[in-house]
Amino acid sequence: MKRISLTKIFTIGLLMMAACTDLDEEDVLYDTVTTKTFYKNDQELLSAIGGAYSNLYGAFGSSSHIWPAYEVTSDEIVVPTRGADWGDGGHWVRLKLHTYTPQDPVPTNTWNFLYRGVNTCNRVLATLEPLGTDVSKAYIAELKALRAIYYYWLLDLYGNVPLSVDATATEAPTNSTRQEVYNFIEKELLDNLPALQKTGPADEATYGRVNYYTAQAVLAKLYLNAQVYTGTPQWAEAIAACDEIINSGKYALMANYRDNFKRDNKGSTEFIWAIPYDEIQATGFTMPHITLHMASQAQLNMTAQPWNGFATVQEFYQSYIDPVQNPGPQGSVIGLDPAGTPTTGTVDERLSNFIVGPQTFPDGSPVLDGGADPADPNGPPMTFTPYINELQPNAWRQSGARIGKWEIYRGNNGNLSNDYAIFRYADILLMRAEAVARQSGNWNDAYTLAIVNQIRAEHGGVEPFPAITEDIFLAERGREMFAEAFRRQDLLRFGRYNNAWRFHPADPSPHVNLFPIPENQINANQKLKQNPGY
Amino acid sequence: MPNSLLLRWKYSILLLLFCIPLTGVYAQGITVKGKVSDDQGQGIPGVNVLLKGTTTGTSTDGNGDYTLAVPNGSGTLAYSFIGFVNQEVPINNRTTIDVTLASDVKALEEVVVVGYGTQKKGEITSAVTKIDAEQFNKGNIADVSRLLQGKVAGLSIARPGGDPNSRSAIRLRGLSTLGANTQPLVVIDGQIGADLNTVDPNDIKSIDVLKDAASAAIYGTRGSAGVIIITTNSGEVGPPQFTYNGFLTAEDPAKFTPNMTADEYRALGKGTDYGASTNWYDEISRTALSHTHNVSLSGGSVGTTYNASLNYRDFQGVAINTGFEQLNGRLNLVQKAFKDKLVVNLNLNMTKRTGQLGFPEAFKYAAIFNPTAPVRTTDPLYDLTGSGYFESNFVDYANPVAVMEQNTNDQDLKRLNITGSAEYEIVRGLKFLVRYAQQHVSNYRWSYFPRNSFHSRNLLGVSGFARGGFAYKADEESFNQLYENTLSYSTNISALNISGVAGYSYQDFQNKGFSIRAGNFLTDVSAEDLGTAQDLREGRATADSYKNGSRLVAFFGRLNLNYNDIAFLTASLRREGSTQFGENNKWGMFPAVSAGFDLSRIIDIPGVDNLKFRASYGVTGALPPMSYLSLPTLSPSTSSFYAGNNRYLPSYGPDKNPNPDLKWEKKAEFDAGVDFALLDNRLTGTADYYVRNTSDLIFNGTVPVPPNLVSTTWLNIGELKSSGFELALGYDVLRDGPFTWNSAGNFSTYSVTLASLDPRYAAPYVGATNLGTPGQEATQITRAVRGEKIGMLWGFIYEGVDEGGKYKFRDLNSDGKIDDNDRTQIGNGLPKFEFGWTNTFKYKNFDLNFFIRGSLGHDIINTYRAFYENPNVASSYNVVNSRYFNPAITDGQIFSSLFVEKASFVKMDNATLGYNFSFPKNAAFKTLRVYVTGQNLFLITDYTGVDPEVRYSDNTNQLSQNSLNPSPTDSNALAPGVDRRETWVFTRSYTLGVNLGF
Repeated sequence: MKRISLTKIFTIGLLMMAACTDLDEEDVLYDTVTTKTFYKNDQELLSAIGGAYSNLYGAFGSSSHIWPAYEVTSDEIVVPTRGADWGDGGHWVRLKLHTYTPQDPVPTNTWNFLYRGVNTCNRVLATLEPLGTDVSKAYIAELKALRAIYYYWLLDLYGNVPLSVDATATEAPTNSTRQEVYNFIEKELLDNLPALQKTGPADEATYGRVNYYTAQAVLAKLYLNAQVYTGTPQWAEAIAACDEIINSGKYALMANYRDNFKRDNKGSTEFIWAIPYDEIQATGFTMPHITLHMASQAQLNMTAQPWNGFATVQEFYQSYIDPVQNPGPQGSVIGLDPAGTPTTGTVDERLSNFIVGPQTFPDGSPVLDGGADPADPNGPPMTFTPYINELQPNAWRQSGARIGKWEIYRGNNGNLSNDYAIFRYADILLMRAEAVARQSGNWNDAYTLAIVNQIRAEHGGVEPFPAITEDIFLAERGREMFAEAFRRQDLLRFGRYNNAWRFHPADPSPHVNLFPIPENQINANQKLKQNPGY
Repeated sequence: MPNSLLLRWKYSILLLLFCIPLTGVYAQGITVKGKVSDDQGQGIPGVNVLLKGTTTGTSTDGNGDYTLAVPNGSGTLAYSFIGFVNQEVPINNRTTIDVTLASDVKALEEVVVVGYGTQKKGEITSAVTKIDAEQFNKGNIADVSRLLQGKVAGLSIARPGGDPNSRSAIRLRGLSTLGANTQPLVVIDGQIGADLNTVDPNDIKSIDVLKDAASAAIYGTRGSAGVIIITTNSGEVGPPQFTYNGFLTAEDPAKFTPNMTADEYRALGKGTDYGASTNWYDEISRTALSHTHNVSLSGGSVGTTYNASLNYRDFQGVAINTGFEQLNGRLNLVQKAFKDKLVVNLNLNMTKRTGQLGFPEAFKYAAIFNPTAPVRTTDPLYDLTGSGYFESNFVDYANPVAVMEQNTNDQDLKRLNITGSAEYEIVRGLKFLVRYAQQHVSNYRWSYFPRNSFHSRNLLGVSGFARGGFAYKADEESFNQLYENTLSYSTNISALNISGVAGYSYQDFQNKGFSIRAGNFLTDVSAEDLGTAQDLREGRATADSYKNGSRLVAFFGRLNLNYNDIAFLTASLRREGSTQFGENNKWGMFPAVSAGFDLSRIIDIPGVDNLKFRASYGVTGALPPMSYLSLPTLSPSTSSFYAGNNRYLPSYGPDKNPNPDLKWEKKAEFDAGVDFALLDNRLTGTADYYVRNTSDLIFNGTVPVPPNLVSTTWLNIGELKSSGFELALGYDVLRDGPFTWNSAGNFSTYSVTLASLDPRYAAPYVGATNLGTPGQEATQITRAVRGEKIGMLWGFIYEGVDEGGKYKFRDLNSDGKIDDNDRTQIGNGLPKFEFGWTNTFKYKNFDLNFFIRGSLGHDIINTYRAFYENPNVASSYNVVNSRYFNPAITDGQIFSSLFVEKASFVKMDNATLGYNFSFPKNAAFKTLRVYVTGQNLFLITDYTGVDPEVRYSDNTNQLSQNSLNPSPTDSNALAPGVDRRETWVFTRSYTLGVNLGF
């Protein structure tokens, strides 16, 4: 047998040695950063903190999760099934009927949204806490307050949620009681108030961010609803929190209600905390998409086709035009018959909350809907009628008053650049008015009546009430706060959430007052207990 | 084995023998002459004729004649030739001895390509199927996988509908992995992980399919879904050979989704009558004409062989304005040197394909567009964009003719493959091989929706009309390089043949690309210049780019023992590491062992020519579907946040829950099989039974929030258990005589169960998919449930309608209400068994071949019906009216078992009639063959949709379907059985072709 030459062995050895066994994945990471390579300067740090805020974009004023959770479950808004559209496995109808299930997308996505916010706060806090600088301390207080706000929504919607405050925790948590969650939120807000900035509504340093008054607003909400959350009312505390805002002198009612919602509404004196949306930079305010008709696209020169979904419940619209419910100047308003025939009614300035009646192009020519339902009395000339023929399956495509509260400007791309106020000064005034009335047990308390009539006069341009009841107060609150994602909470506080109203028969069981914890969370975390009744 | 194959084998041996100098001939004693023939009387060239006990011998000439001088007339002559039974004949002083040799299937060993080497078929101890070019499916097939469709037991290939640009789904033995790739690993001429369609079907010599884990384990990480090894044509020593293959195909739509004609729609009285009568299907479809040409040149002289070929395909789709044009060039060069000790091989392959992808939703719109609407209109109520096309404002609805005529969706695909290898035989039997290969694929996409295009639910989700024209340009590049060394050794120790191979493999992968979406053009004419999009100036355009990569490193070895062709043992081991796993889990070990025993070699059983039992066990792995899953990566949010002073900043945050513990998904498989040949080799067959267990399944599982940041994490979530049986049989019904008939079939059945799910992480079910838009978004229709078979379809059980026309569903828990608790299994999307059956007839110069294929026992959710088979949709859409249509329904659409159909089918995939012309030896042509092929000649099924083909996974993202790197979450392998509305139509085609050799 021939011997193998050393050269050959050497050559082969060399080729084999070329063997690379390096498997460090960072070496082949080209287009993204990791926690190792980020947080290197102030701008990167700010960007990390921004994550706790950017989570909010697309949450309010869209069909995603929390906004419909507050609105579609209430007597304000409905998403009818329009033929083949918006059936969506019946989940919009279930929101309306209060038959929502743990599998439904709105409870599931709202949970994910809120805990993504909580987790982002936890994570950024864990990054900031070791720094110990003054800047980082201010951020820490802000983020803790923001986390408390996310928990406030969790408390309000789900009640017995797990309290997760440590970013390094890997164990799945158990439920806390609603009282524990309440206590946590209260303590976090009170503890961090001193470090929060007392800036005003137009201050660039905190615009869109949580400041001292935002935290007070959340405290006010927490106390106002304390009876619902814990069984123990906290009226005096609610009043005190509102007073912190009112007495600061930084806020005032806008002379024109609609200016709170127009495209360029930044710096409204009513904004306590707003999401500064931008149709390009910071998107997600998809109101034009979810409420307008496909044919509205041409009318408004929109760059995207609307989805023809969200509309107002007829009785809610009626509460504005009905002279008995809402005394005020009379004029021509769109009526409640199937054709939406103009009739005489109260002309509340806040009717700008709705888009109703025949739709026209700027030149006055009618917007035509070649696909109008054969049974719709209006036919192709597109007319939004407050009347909705049925909840399902064949609500007419043109039926339902549309949500026009936020100015839907021409040429929008389906996302609005209007800022969305999460907490607004008029709400604070109404909260204080309510707390005063509830504390004194008198809905005609001078302060309460004065506030209601101030808002009626300044925002609605309608006549003052000589005297009010709990129902009238709730209706006025509704007219003012329509579509601002409070109605479910308000109905619960006023004990009306389980009542019957259009498209919603009375609830057989009050377990629906808490949302179900999503099924996939219950499945994924065996320590988690479902809310009763689901 | 088909005769022709046998002949080809003989001739190639013959060619080799001509090159070997023969030992001397003695000129004394007597001279024996004669002719050696086969059982058909044909002379056999190259037969060794040896005087027994001496070195005296010769071999037969081209006619099978021989002349041998022997010392005296008392010896014995031994005749031997590969493929024939050896024969010994005493000379008995004769000077003329004619001999007839019987063919020997045992000895006639096909060579099977296995991982890093070849083996004789008889030595194979695992489940490997070889398919030669002759056995490929016939007709106008540009997609390589479809050559194999139905030909290999256990290999399922489906391409529902007739979209020429769509890819096939390939599944080996059902679902075996949830990891990177549910499709098999492809190896082309040693290039691992190549794109199957790198080669043109014309250039493929054979395809070997490694089915069990033992055979695939040498490929370790990527072998879980099986391995497909492609060997391309190579040159042979001899004069240059030119061949031309060309064919013309005419293809027609053969089945549409049943919908209402204009008259039926009018009669229903629930929709608007626009006065016209339009058959939208006719408007968007056509008889598609395609042609294909292949020219190849091969040959070689001592030391050098080559094979070069050029392929051109012009393929039209049955939908207007669709199809592709493809040019492929290939060169295979082999150079031997240093007394043939060094073999250098170079393989070059280039493909350029220009595709007009079209818009599959046009078929959906043709099904539902109002049949009383005209195609074109001047009425401003309906000419919504000024394009002259009739349009209406309904959701997910557009004039299908306008969709196909106005808009562009094109693709330029370039594939470049370069493989070079050098093998040196250091000492006899010991060979060292170095291989380097590169694959580069580039995919250039171009879509445009002009200023007057209404279509808004397209792949970009934007209408050109609203955006002043909208354009999309993208370029994706995928690159990988492979570097391998192997050392192989083969030797005989008495009756024991020992061979082995050991090696190192390094491969790295890189994907990169960018895309731009921009609109608002002053004129459509300039749209190709994205710089003219006003969106760019206004900040409304979006751009996207990426680059990612990974590396694989492996050490491997295999040992084969063969004792006298009676007993066989193979063992292999691969240790492989990938960058894609967590720090402590990067390396995986993939062992395999298999053994076989050929009973017929030791016991003579009457009627049994060959009987080999084999068993194998092996472990293969699967990679995660993307990189960086274990790294804490950060990404900017989709929305920026307000950072004060009119400044928005992107917020960087974790884009996932990183999983540093992510580890290899492993599949352990036991396979027992038998290969047999009976009745004088007339009946041959292979049967396999397997059991396998895939553990540590890699899946994007649901996790609790909190403590996790997002609700899904890529995890090792559970186990799949599967078992199956496969049988392949071939029978020469008529073997002797001018008329021959061979019938071959295969049968497979399997069952895959989701055996366990990690209870810490996951729900009792995973992989649910929804029915979708419009109007049925939150409607779950499939799921994979712990402990149950994969492929479960999910919903209410339909029990008719009540007097009011409302749906009645079964109240499973009898609680008086129909809710989520009443949903249950309402079908299974995977077939109970599949079969393929080929028949080949030959008579003189004629041959006829037909192939029938079927899948039985699967169900399909007919989403066309689930959305549109309801009289109430008529206010918006045309109505689908299959035989299940019930005009009395007053409900909206609610998904139930009503829309689940039995989809068992039998198809005649193709049938070919050919004629081979005979030419005298000196003619200009050597061969000429003319044939006609029909594809999809019949379809037998109860399914009312267009194509009952099994839907192996659910993919709803149109843009990703033609992407090089589709997002892993776009394709759901746990949701088989959903016939989405983007399926094209079932088509039938006829091909006329010619093969010319000179």
